Amino acid sequence: MDDTEDAAIVARCLAGEHNAYEAIVHRYQKGLFNVALRMLGNYEDARDATQTAFIKAYEHLGSFNPEQRFFNWLYRILRNECLNVLRGRRPSEPVSLDLPAGSGADPVEVRERHQAVQAALLTLSVDYREVVVLRHFTDLSYDEIAATLGIPAKTVKSRLYTARQQLGDRLVGWHVAR
Amino acid sequence: MNTFNDDRRDDNDELSMMLNDLPQVDPPSSLTPTVMSSIADYAKAQVTQPQVTFMRRGSTMAKKVLWSVAAVAAVALVALRVAGYPPVEEGTEATIGAAQRYQAPQIAAADVKVEDQQFQSFLQSDLFRQLVNDKAAQEALKNQDLQRALADANVRTALSNDVIRWVISNNAVVWAKYTANNGVIANLRLDAKNLAVLQAALNASPALVAAISNVNIANAISNSNLAKVLANSDAMVAVRNDAVLDAMFNASSNVQIDAVNDAVSNAKVNVINK
Repeated sequence: MDDTEDAAIVARCLAGEHNAYEAIVHRYQKGLFNVALRMLGNYEDARDATQTAFIKAYEHLGSFNPEQRFFNWLYRILRNECLNVLRGRRPSEPVSLDLPAGSGADPVEVRERHQAVQAALLTLSVDYREVVVLRHFTDLSYDEIAATLGIPAKTVKSRLYTARQQLGDRLVGWHVAR
Repeated sequence: MNTFNDDRRDDNDELSMMLNDLPQVDPPSSLTPTVMSSIADYAKAQVTQPQVTFMRRGSTMAKKVLWSVAAVAAVALVALRVAGYPPVEEGTEATIGAAQRYQAPQIAAADVKVEDQQFQSFLQSDLFRQLVNDKAAQEALKNQDLQRALADANVRTALSNDVIRWVISNNAVVWAKYTANNGVIANLRLDAKNLAVLQAALNASPALVAAISNVNIANAISNSNLAKVLANSDAMVAVRNDAVLDAMFNASSNVQIDAVNDAVSNAKVNVINK
């Protein structure tokens, strides 16, 4: 399914065929959920943010510009939801890092490494965290990340560089070479 | 989704491998049913209550007083321009206030037409102030197609219909080109009467079709004060005045009324003679 198909589905939704939206949810739920998961570090929060983003997107489909990429618009809604969750957290509130394991049985060391990387991600500011997440958990290129975030590509690269430096510092115990 | 589609020079180092090694987690199976259930409820609510949300009016008494004062000043300036300044004798240049009061009664009743009243009413309105600060609406109003459409009385009548504005604000016309059979409008939840009104409006003016097929204009109708302009006959008259448009586009927030009045005066465009 390409962007034109997205637009056609949105058009059908606007015409009252709301069941057509299920195809949109199927297409983007895994990508958006994983982005939310890595941004928030909590399974339930990521689920709620993703659900809310899809629902809000549907309610505002009329304001979507079909000349633009649907994912970019949808991501911005999800980002706002993630920010709302983060704002709602008390500063000292610990974040659950008990994320579900991936497919297959991970050895303990692998699991610990995953948790260390996720914990390091959560120490980054939102601006830095999201470029890392978009870079490593979606198919987006630098230019597409720039378009999604509404910033220049060189800013994406700059933020990614700084984010990687900071991640390297946090993961020094894992002998990460930057 | 860990397949990348562009140059990734930095993806072969250890840090990138650790990041890429984080597992993709399947979303909960309840996600899709929950979303679809919520939007079904939302869609049902929309059927019974069309999404016409742009008619809200909000203002405070203090703002009304402020703009009423500004409007009085605007009316005085327009009246002076219409009646013409009396020849001022040397040495009396500073007695403007007295001259204004003396000259005002010279406006004949026949000179005061409906459009003038509409123009004045628009100048005193909160909508005018909102429009001056609304870049999206201003951009839309610059569109030649929309200006041509607004000049057509049939189109203005059509645009006063809530259902048609709802259709436009939902980008239905824009969306039509993304469907295989251009069936969006036909499939809208419109009864026969409203569908006929919409079709008549679209048939009446190719300029209207061109204007509302512009996604930026459609979005402006949806998200800006432009919808209020379309619903307000006074504003519709005023925004068709080139001088008013120019002044709105160029005015800073601190000198809005002055800029409009100056523009009207300098261009010698007054709505009474329009």
